[in-house]
Amino acid sequence: MQGQIEEASYDVLVIGGGIAGGEAALNLANNGFKVLIIEKDLSIGGKMILLSKVFPTLDCSACITTPKVSEISRHPAITIFTGSEVQKIIKKDYNSFEVEVLKNPRYVIEEECTGCQLCEQACPVIVKDEYQFNLVGRKAAFIPFTIASPKVAAIDIENCTLCGACEKACPPKCIDFTQEKEEYRIKIKSIIIATGFKLFDPLMMPRYGFGLYKNIITSMQMERQLAPTRPFNTILRPGDGKVPCKVAYVLCTGSRDATIGNPICSQICCMYSIKQAQLLMGALPMADVTIYYLNIRSFGKGFEEFYEQAKGMGVNFVKGKIGKISELENGNLMLRYEDINENKVKEAEHDIVVLSVGVIANQDTAALFPDEQLKLDSFNFINQPDPLATPARTSIDGVFVAGTASGPMDIPDSILSAGSASSEAMSYLIQKK
Amino acid sequence: MNKKLGVYICHCGGNISDYVDVEKVRLSVENEEGVFIAKTTMFACGDSNQKEMVEDIKNNHLDGVVVASCSPKLHLLTFRAVTERGELNKYNYIHANIREQASWAHSDDKARATEKAIHIVKAAIAKVRYAESLVPIKIKSIKSVAVIGGGVAGMKAAIELSNLGCQVYIIEREYFVGGRVSQWDALFTTNETGKELVTRLYNDLVKRRNITIYTSTEVISCSGNIGDFKLKIKTTPRYIKEKCNLGELQNAIDACPVEVPDDFNFHITSRKAIYHNFPGEYPQSPVIDIKNCTRCGACEKICENVDFSQKEEITDINVGSVLMATGFDPYTPADGEFGYNSFDNVVTLPQFKRMIDLSDEKLTFKGREIKNIAYIYCVGSRQVEGENKYCSRYCCTSAIHAAINAKKKFRNIYNFHFTRGIRTYGKQEVLYDESSRMGDIYLQSYENDPPVVTGMNDKTVVRINDILTGKREMEVEADLVVLITGMVPRKDNSVGSLFKLPKGRDRFFNEIHMKLRPVETVIDGITISGACQGPKNIMEAVNSALSAATKSYSYVSKGELELEPIIARIDKNLCTWCNACSQACPFDAVKMEEDKTKVFAVINSSVCKGCGMCLPVCPTDAINLIAYSNSEIESMIDALA
Repeated sequence: MQGQIEEASYDVLVIGGGIAGGEAALNLANNGFKVLIIEKDLSIGGKMILLSKVFPTLDCSACITTPKVSEISRHPAITIFTGSEVQKIIKKDYNSFEVEVLKNPRYVIEEECTGCQLCEQACPVIVKDEYQFNLVGRKAAFIPFTIASPKVAAIDIENCTLCGACEKACPPKCIDFTQEKEEYRIKIKSIIIATGFKLFDPLMMPRYGFGLYKNIITSMQMERQLAPTRPFNTILRPGDGKVPCKVAYVLCTGSRDATIGNPICSQICCMYSIKQAQLLMGALPMADVTIYYLNIRSFGKGFEEFYEQAKGMGVNFVKGKIGKISELENGNLMLRYEDINENKVKEAEHDIVVLSVGVIANQDTAALFPDEQLKLDSFNFINQPDPLATPARTSIDGVFVAGTASGPMDIPDSILSAGSASSEAMSYLIQKK
Repeated sequence: MNKKLGVYICHCGGNISDYVDVEKVRLSVENEEGVFIAKTTMFACGDSNQKEMVEDIKNNHLDGVVVASCSPKLHLLTFRAVTERGELNKYNYIHANIREQASWAHSDDKARATEKAIHIVKAAIAKVRYAESLVPIKIKSIKSVAVIGGGVAGMKAAIELSNLGCQVYIIEREYFVGGRVSQWDALFTTNETGKELVTRLYNDLVKRRNITIYTSTEVISCSGNIGDFKLKIKTTPRYIKEKCNLGELQNAIDACPVEVPDDFNFHITSRKAIYHNFPGEYPQSPVIDIKNCTRCGACEKICENVDFSQKEEITDINVGSVLMATGFDPYTPADGEFGYNSFDNVVTLPQFKRMIDLSDEKLTFKGREIKNIAYIYCVGSRQVEGENKYCSRYCCTSAIHAAINAKKKFRNIYNFHFTRGIRTYGKQEVLYDESSRMGDIYLQSYENDPPVVTGMNDKTVVRINDILTGKREMEVEADLVVLITGMVPRKDNSVGSLFKLPKGRDRFFNEIHMKLRPVETVIDGITISGACQGPKNIMEAVNSALSAATKSYSYVSKGELELEPIIARIDKNLCTWCNACSQACPFDAVKMEEDKTKVFAVINSSVCKGCGMCLPVCPTDAINLIAYSNSEIESMIDALA
């Protein structure tokens, strides 16, 4: 189906509705510009909305993200397409782009869904819940998560058996299996890329045994277990549902490691691991938490103090690289490592291992510009041709970058980088007028 | 009138409901007088609940709303907006904090946390019964911004504000713009020099008609408020005529007999009292540093461009917002700290960077050629004993970059890094790799066992118990010891005090909220950017400068601003003008006025923050705080008891 928004044109297209994209969109909209956000996920809010608490203030992440998300979704100057992808961007003339957008069907009439979740109860299909990072299951008819925006059901058509149970259960009758993909052509004056990052996939490091040993999880899986909307009401190890009492964090999993093709530092893992360690000490007062690190990089405002606080709380910091992880009969894990402080190879047993996975470039955007080259840097992040004077500029005039699309960053830096991108975009739009 | 009230009690995920029985709270308040709706909600701030509240308020014509959730710092404005969307005046909303004040504070005692939460909600209900519809105070906002500091952050912010059509005043205390960056040579990652970067920005600045640059200028007083700040600025003269012949001036510089340490080169060289920093600096005119000038007249005799008749100038400027970009000072080590001022070959990182820039072919210091260089990290940062607990963030990368540059520029340089764990975060890691590949040696000290610098027979030796080689004691005979000094707040913080800007534990200026309001301060209308807020590298400083510019612009762009109407009110009849309130006011909001019958106090409504400091000191009880009247407070106390 070919959908055409009549006369659709916007000042700025923001690709990605995470915290950076959202912040940039709000800055622009509050200053009178018309913004379109394209988000490929079913909800805006990006990764931040899924976090537990944020360092170094231990603010509840959902509590500071939801009002932003709510402000974005309500703003009269902001239009949001969720479940949508930018297909192609063509530069038309000196101050405009034509953007092709594909809106994937949700199979639910968005405007009519009340978020009652009765379809979810009726659906007989259970699949892994990607929003809980596969810790638990979800239905094929589902609301992504409690604080999703829009809080509207969606049908996961790949897993749906078309049994029709949801249709029968839905009070406003808003489930619609006849929905098709819709294509839009939209005129845009300027673009902000805020496509964020991907998490390193630890399956690429077989020596750690992720995927093979059940009690090794990623930091994002631990993050979900600590979040206010956590899947279990406590911390459990996935192998047997036991509450862990000896937790290990393996820093630099997929960062600072040329063997897996990512030589750079991910900038956030030290701090989020220290944060999780502090939260774990609160949630499981009897647990021992050990962080295996190469260098602790607590460089931001209040970060070093936060690190010292963790040490004071009794988090055990061991300078050492993990060589190999093996599984014991009881599901516990044996970590073989070099204790650099003591210059000895040692072994330690833990009942759960958390891999602090790094930040990997999201390369989806590079291919969107068939006519012009959106240059990437040697780590496949978006290249910044003038990083010191105009950090938000990219290799294409009128296209700016915000947040982790240009490299690893924590939340405060992403927000400032979004402020920088929206500011450059405003200047660009005014000059082109 | 019996008001119809809506009360919402938030789970905050589990932040509240893990410790407070929210359903019990709901049951305890649902029969309170006037309560028409009492609901619990998973996330009150979530979009779906906000929509539900709007419908509730509209459909039931509620007269007052209470949300019991987190701190009002976080969500007071969120729920006021919800109330407004429900077509009820937003000041009929009252916030109850049962997270910070109940669930988090009493996580060890769920029953009593719940009991406390019930009292807090009851008190809020008591208050909302008195709530009245208020109209925000509207004031005019002048479309101009003062940027304090003409470094890279200040210059970038000014350019952005100029693009957006604001009148901009850059106020730079030094004689030249460019700040710290003009002192640096090749910069990471572009290898553009600091001078080139500053020149690029300056050339952009000067062609703009809506930017006025004041150098050697300081703010000496500030009055007014957001939308209408009145600044008095004082400009020290340059004592050089505006149109001058640079060749003749060079003769005057040569003739000057005064020698003082050169701040631009961090005192490794000296300069005259009449001087300039480098060719191409901005503005392109030398200056007479009058503090050090002896008035001998030597320059005047040779050069007619010298003009000692110039006078200090005071200028008044009027701006809607102030953007702070005052930067940092490099840490100055104490005497004897790692041999500083004890051995003559111990320098700081900024000094070392100037040395690299100033030396050709051979790297020499005090006449000696330098080969072995020892770098000692975290000097003045991450202090175990001192008060600088924070990490200065830029220094690892900056030090490694300088070490690489030294090696590339000069022959026979051997670099030894005495670190506390290298923090080349993000993509800066490649620099650490590059330096390791070039053969630099990295050593790391234990937290409580820093390296020691000693002098032995004309040699300077740095000794360390090294983690990386398994506690081995290592020593390096160094021709030069470079102390990798961090960033500290400006020693002279007079401008910060003038604007009453709050500082964090690290003594840098503090933002309201690191993530929600990262460039705003508690002083309305004043934004902060760059390293005055905390250590930052150039890119981070520019990002924050542009964010601050956008925020400052939003204060002035519409020509009008709305302020909180929750302010003090003075009953003229009761007031006897004893002056106690004006002395208690931290914001200078109380002024004396006089009419035919009496002298009395009045409140400047655009300056008053509604803090209430004036209330208890008034002997005649003439002051009332809107929305916090005695009867309201008493009814809340009754509900809490």
